[in-house]
Amino acid sequence: MPLPDTLPLIGITWADALFMLLGGVAVAGALGVVLGRDIIRNGLLLILTLGAIAGIYVMLGAAILAGAQVLVYIGAISVLILFAIMLTQSKAAPAKLNFQTQAVPAALISALLALIFAVTLGGGGWNATVFDGTPPPEGTRGAADALFGPYLLAFEVASVLLLAAVIGGIYLASLPRAGQIGAEEEEERR
Amino acid sequence: MSMIAGHLEPYLVLSGLLFSIGSFGFLARRNAISMLMSVEIMLNAVNIAVVAFGAFVPALAGQGIAFAMLIIAVAAAEATVGLAIIIAIYRNRKTPLVDEYDTMRQ
Amino acid sequence: MSLITALIRAASESGEPAAVLPEYAPLLLLLPLGGFLLTAAIGRRLGKLAHIVPLLAIVATWALSMSLAVPALLGDLGEAGASRELFTWIASGDLTFSMGIHVDALTGALLLVVTTVGALVHLYSVGYMSHDPGYWRFFAYLNLFMFSMLLLVLASNLLVVFAAWELVGLSSYLLIGFWYTKREPGLAAKKAFITNRVGDVGFALGLMGLVAVFGTLDIPTVLAGVAAGELTGTAATVIALLIFCGAVGKSAQFPLHVWLPDAMEGPTPVSALIHAATMVNAGVYLVARMSPLFAASPEAMLVVAAIGIFTAIFAASIAFTQTDIKRVLAFSTLSQLGYMFAALGVGAWVPAIFHLITHGFFKGLLFLGSGSVIHAVDGEQEMPKMGGLAKKIPITYATMLIGTIAIAGLPPLAGFWSKDEILGEAFKFGYTWVWLVGLVVAGATAFYMFRLMGLTFWGKSRIREDVHPHESPWTMTLPLILLAIPSIGIGVLLGFPVADGIIVHGLEPIFHTANEMLGHEHAKWQLFGIDGILMLASVTVASIGTAIGVRLFRSDNGDRIRAITARLQPLYVGSKGRWFFDDLNDLIFVRLGGRVAHAAWWFDRRIVDGAVNGVGALTSSGGRGLRQIQTGRVQNYALGIALGLAAMAIAYLVIGS
Repeated sequence: MPLPDTLPLIGITWADALFMLLGGVAVAGALGVVLGRDIIRNGLLLILTLGAIAGIYVMLGAAILAGAQVLVYIGAISVLILFAIMLTQSKAAPAKLNFQTQAVPAALISALLALIFAVTLGGGGWNATVFDGTPPPEGTRGAADALFGPYLLAFEVASVLLLAAVIGGIYLASLPRAGQIGAEEEEERR
Repeated sequence: MSMIAGHLEPYLVLSGLLFSIGSFGFLARRNAISMLMSVEIMLNAVNIAVVAFGAFVPALAGQGIAFAMLIIAVAAAEATVGLAIIIAIYRNRKTPLVDEYDTMRQ
Repeated sequence: MSLITALIRAASESGEPAAVLPEYAPLLLLLPLGGFLLTAAIGRRLGKLAHIVPLLAIVATWALSMSLAVPALLGDLGEAGASRELFTWIASGDLTFSMGIHVDALTGALLLVVTTVGALVHLYSVGYMSHDPGYWRFFAYLNLFMFSMLLLVLASNLLVVFAAWELVGLSSYLLIGFWYTKREPGLAAKKAFITNRVGDVGFALGLMGLVAVFGTLDIPTVLAGVAAGELTGTAATVIALLIFCGAVGKSAQFPLHVWLPDAMEGPTPVSALIHAATMVNAGVYLVARMSPLFAASPEAMLVVAAIGIFTAIFAASIAFTQTDIKRVLAFSTLSQLGYMFAALGVGAWVPAIFHLITHGFFKGLLFLGSGSVIHAVDGEQEMPKMGGLAKKIPITYATMLIGTIAIAGLPPLAGFWSKDEILGEAFKFGYTWVWLVGLVVAGATAFYMFRLMGLTFWGKSRIREDVHPHESPWTMTLPLILLAIPSIGIGVLLGFPVADGIIVHGLEPIFHTANEMLGHEHAKWQLFGIDGILMLASVTVASIGTAIGVRLFRSDNGDRIRAITARLQPLYVGSKGRWFFDDLNDLIFVRLGGRVAHAAWWFDRRIVDGAVNGVGALTSSGGRGLRQIQTGRVQNYALGIALGLAAMAIAYLVIGS
């Protein structure tokens, strides 16, 4: 039986429903990361958020990027963050008092930023043709042409940067006792 | 014809929302690792916007994903060094709370 | 690796149908660069064999560059030369800077000098530096320099030229300060670097001006634009003079000449390669390359000619009395570079480049010879402590004598042809004053060079008892002999028959636009006419200088020389003290600057501090208040950043739309 074009009863398309679901999960997850008390749970929620964002990438026709997102962000960075959490949570660190004294001004400024985004979006006018409709699922070829064409140098520089970061990470984390925690962390990175 | 998923703006709204949430977390959380997580959220928000532009503006086709790839690479580097710094500081100060790192004041 | 992939990729794409350089052309840059990287990486472990890779790289570069330079000079590459686009370096909106290489007759001329002298200096260094603990470092730097210099002459975009310009400056800095544990080389390296900065600021500003006018720094596009009259009047003068600033710095022209004599603190092969034969010519090359731009502004041309001829006579007058053998040669280099600029300034483009070639060879020879002399007398550089060396080191003596005759402008050696063409064209284009001063300089050059020869090789030995002069190893004498050959023959080869030789045919098309803008036309060269008389005049003056020099310094004439200097005491002291230009700089920038600073300090202490103390209570209470902002907490600062970001975004929204 073929699926109906729209969701039964509510009458919105599948794509819209998917977007709302993923977007909702991403925003809710992000709020959880930022507001939640338990830092380990924050880390797990971050993984959820990043996963939802990977779904958004697929909707935008960037399956390759979604793959990279899962590998790099969920597979490496999140695990790295969880490790760091476990290494740095002593009993002395209070579970309460999550926020700075400046939480209120921070909230105001964040709201101001959101307002600025809203005004910008409302203003429209991108000075460019904007295409409407579902993006084609095949974005990899274009990305490859861009990456290995005009952005080749940037691509190479990024790899140098990563190498430098790895070395820097090892150096920073292993200063007091040569290569114990830092080394472990780098193992995880790879 | 989809009402939301087929347009550029909803993605930008999502991106803006996530960025604002991330910026709040970065400014308000006491824990250094929470701050770093907030930075990751902000970077991802930017990535969504970049990919959305790449997908919806024909003149930028392909470049959005390429750029996002580079951002992910930079983010990975940032996370590595950032966490290493946090661990190094933690060893010295025995706390992950940023508001107790106020040596710069003296 | 990616650079190489990019190069290979670019090389496999065929560009314009006509005048494309062969695919191996980028190797000209990659070989020395590879030599540098390899030697820098593993050179220390190779020890005394560290020269193998750099030497082979440079010899291969030499062979490659000859395969391009010879056709270019003979005109086989076509009038506009051949080029090859490699990759886009910077692409930002409408502004793109591409990395491409271009070979035409002008590049060919530079390639000829740079790679030939470069290869021979590498060989020479194998002997000269053999006892130095920094052996591998020296060769790594030399290869870096060769890469930079080749990039400078090959690049088809002025931004790349500028980058290479800074790179040669860097290598020069590294090599002058090669013996960095000693005080003087370190100071001299810094002096060279800082003095060059002064000129480079002008160069950079000039490039920005060109971008503002043309929106690109692609050399052919810019020159075509100038030729089409898109840049004239004051704007042309300002931009040309700014670019000339860079040339003045790099080529050590007055008033930025002070660094070059001090640069002699570096090892002698470096003095020969960088500070005589190649890098200091970069300024001449730049002005020649931008010839239409200068031709568009008569004022700029006049400035170039005036500074050039002034430097020529100024430096020659100093060379009269210096006693350090390398300093004499350094001032001689200044003087000859001044000659080239004077030639450029009067519109005698071809003779200027011709002189660049011949000077590169014979000055390289003279410097390497002086290194061999210094080697022979165990590191002594003061000529009063030499003398009578002719019998002891015959090969060095013979080759240096050839170099001296060449630079003195006696026919038929190399210097005569180029120098004579410069003087002749200056006269014929109506710059009688340039011709007259140039003539005096020609005589002076012959005199001080034979003074150098006399003090070093002739007369009685004044060498310390415990030093036993000995001829240098073959790695040092072979380059001398090989350089002596072009010092004898290159003038005839390229410049004969006068005004109709290879060099004229090769280079004339390059300067066609500039000559048209200046309205210069070349009359047929007449031996039995004005040209013959001019030639006779320059030969006569050179012979007189030679005769005086030989007569005074052939044997020990100490009393007579002392009598002459006593009679000309003020001139002698002035010349000996280099007309006190270093002291003047010291006075202006150090003493006077110090005075100003002192006065400012007094003003600050009495008046500003008084005022501050008057409101001191306010300040300290305000400070206490402001201190609250400096919490030392990262996130407070981040809050400030976010606030600033929001403010900027709002300002953009309000103003921008």
